[in-house]
Amino acid sequence: MSPPDLAPTEPILAARGITKRFPGVLALDHVDLEIQAGEIHAVLGQNGAGKTTLMNILFGLLQPDEGALYLREQRIRFRSPHDALARGIGMVHQTRRLVSAHTVLENIALGHPRTRGFLNLRSTRLEVEALGNRYGFTVPLGARVWQLSEGERQWVEILKALYRGAEILILDEPTAALTPPEVKTLLAGLQTLVRDHGVTVLLVTHKLPIVMAVSHRVTVLRSGRVVARLRTADAAEESLVQHMIGRDIAFRTMNRSAEMGRPLLQVEQLSAFNDKGLLALRGVSFSLREGEVLGVAGVTGNGQEELAQVLAGLRPAASGRVRLDGRDVTRLSPLQRWRMGVGYIPAERIEVASIATFSLVENTALNYHFDPAFIRRGLLDNAGLEQLTQRIVTTYNVKAPSQYARAQHLSGGNLQKLILGRVLSRNPRLLIAHLPTQGLDVEAAAFVRATLVEATAEGAAVLLISEDLDEILSLSDWVAPIYEGRFGAIIPRAEAGAETVGAMMAGVGMKEAGVR
Amino acid sequence: MWELVARSLEASTIFLFAALGELIDQRSGVLNVGLEGLMLFGGTAAFITAQTTGSHALGFLAGLTLGGLLGLGHGFFSITLRGDQVVSGMGLWILSFGLTTYLGSPYTGPLGLGRIPSLWGLSPFFPLGVALVAITWLLLFRTGLGLAIRSAGENPAAAEASGIPVTSIRFLCVALGGMLAGLSGATYTLSYNPVWNYNFLMGWGFVSLALVFFSMWNPWILLAGASLFGIMWQLSLSPELILPGVLSRYVWRTVPFAITIPILCIISTPWFRTRWGLAKPEALGRPYAKG
Repeated sequence: MSPPDLAPTEPILAARGITKRFPGVLALDHVDLEIQAGEIHAVLGQNGAGKTTLMNILFGLLQPDEGALYLREQRIRFRSPHDALARGIGMVHQTRRLVSAHTVLENIALGHPRTRGFLNLRSTRLEVEALGNRYGFTVPLGARVWQLSEGERQWVEILKALYRGAEILILDEPTAALTPPEVKTLLAGLQTLVRDHGVTVLLVTHKLPIVMAVSHRVTVLRSGRVVARLRTADAAEESLVQHMIGRDIAFRTMNRSAEMGRPLLQVEQLSAFNDKGLLALRGVSFSLREGEVLGVAGVTGNGQEELAQVLAGLRPAASGRVRLDGRDVTRLSPLQRWRMGVGYIPAERIEVASIATFSLVENTALNYHFDPAFIRRGLLDNAGLEQLTQRIVTTYNVKAPSQYARAQHLSGGNLQKLILGRVLSRNPRLLIAHLPTQGLDVEAAAFVRATLVEATAEGAAVLLISEDLDEILSLSDWVAPIYEGRFGAIIPRAEAGAETVGAMMAGVGMKEAGVR
Repeated sequence: MWELVARSLEASTIFLFAALGELIDQRSGVLNVGLEGLMLFGGTAAFITAQTTGSHALGFLAGLTLGGLLGLGHGFFSITLRGDQVVSGMGLWILSFGLTTYLGSPYTGPLGLGRIPSLWGLSPFFPLGVALVAITWLLLFRTGLGLAIRSAGENPAAAEASGIPVTSIRFLCVALGGMLAGLSGATYTLSYNPVWNYNFLMGWGFVSLALVFFSMWNPWILLAGASLFGIMWQLSLSPELILPGVLSRYVWRTVPFAITIPILCIISTPWFRTRWGLAKPEALGRPYAKG
């Protein structure tokens, strides 16, 4: 693939001196961004670097406090996405912006200027089909969006933007929820769009391999500032990482002593239904010893949530058995399991693991209110809870204005540290950690991982459920790729290669084995 | 017998107008539990205007206008200020109860105008209601605006990202909903029962609200439901016509609610949702913040 003109030509879209403040935060600080026509331009940065804010400004969802946008060197103002769409800028958001109860066709037609007055879905269908054929991809137009896979939904959004006449396509973290094969298809499709159809793509991501694979040029953002602007061909991965995180953090395998203790947990043929009443977990078996880490690797929605919830006692098992210390705990309540030493870190930090409007102390109390040590004459022992919270805040380095700050005002990393501290200070023997580092910045994630490793050194068994293959491979003793509610295999870490596990996460290898 | 049916259908029309407006409201994501209040205000304004000017037409106009304005007021609280929609709706109802009693009491008594002409004993509002059902259905399911309305009620963020002005759409819907509620109240005080008394509705608005949930947000089912509820309601006034001495009118009057509750239970089950899809607008009752 030949990169477009290297000589600086007129940018098709430019943002100059963009500054955006949110209460207490300078999200963007005089950011300049120039995109050439017909290129894939990557915007790279960590969570919280300001990427999404910048894209929302380019798409008219937010207004900059300072600075201006230029389209083909014409100064423009977008008061709403409507203006951006009218000027040929389309955006595919990180979280899907589709109406899941409507059909694909209705979603594509929504907001199109041609849908003024009566809807003519038949002619829309023909036009969209023609468009799909031209660009070489198809999506089931009559299906309802909730029936589609995440990869298909993404194509619906891309097709929708193209149908609106988008020449510049902004994609915000497009690979976040996709399986490896879906990522491949997406990237190949984007390259075709750029090469054969002259579309310009602005790709926002924190994933380096994607930047290296498809982009022509890259702009690196850190803490709301542009720290580098490079041609991808000239960029070395290491230097991009340094730009992105500001210093050298090498990703290394955690060193752990491999002493395994007594058998602790046995899970036999465990199955469970999801909220829609479908069998989401289909006969999973494994056992864990004290001090061991089992890494369950999979793309979200393959039964991980149900596995974690069944083990924590939050969801009934449809069949199968869970034994802790040889005792059948399948039907015990979450509280009874807590008392037996089961600790659970839910994936939804703010929705399930904590209560947003409660203070740190109250959130800590969520795991202790039943503990006789914190009850005095029938009332909660506030002084004791305060001391405990203080201990957690200090030990786990939680940055918070005060113990009585609300959980919702903590950053994701600090809240996760609090939750981790709260669970670990009960010295659980089994720890279920579901997406423990999701959405955290590199430092907080490293802290969480190191803490998990420490817990195993103290003898806790850890069930680590994650989408991040590197995380799984660096922490686990055993790796279990999960796909459609089944483990592909349970592989010792030494034998688990990223390729094999990645393929199994995508369900490759499993169909060959005759599983569904 | 025909008289009873015609009278039932006229009662249905009052449910139908109000519920149709609420249905449009709710399809765009705004819940207005103060429907009864809007009807009380609309009915009272229509009654006073008609009595003062001697014109039915001006009375209806007054009902429509006041209903629309109150709908916009509810919109201001729930859309612009992003307040709690239930609180705002309940506030409207309590306000209407007090204010219409205060303002209307000098007018207590019959309207004193001629009856609105009927077609073979049937109120002309019933065919109008059927036509409005058809128009609403066309609007919601066959036009771009309807797609925008439904999307605003399902996923306002998706609608906004598609270039739909969610705030304007919702305001349009609360205004339409308010006007229809006003029309419903006016139909009550000018045609169905042209006598003003304080709190003359005694729950018609709440039945209409229940009816929207009963209809699963579909105008045609709403029409069927309104007819059914109209007959129930009429029977509650004179149960001795059909089943003499079986049940008192107060028991009959609970029937619409008694039917609605099991239906609500059924449509909220996981089974129903997986089998028939989600009936309830996903974003109903939730304020929308841009960005």
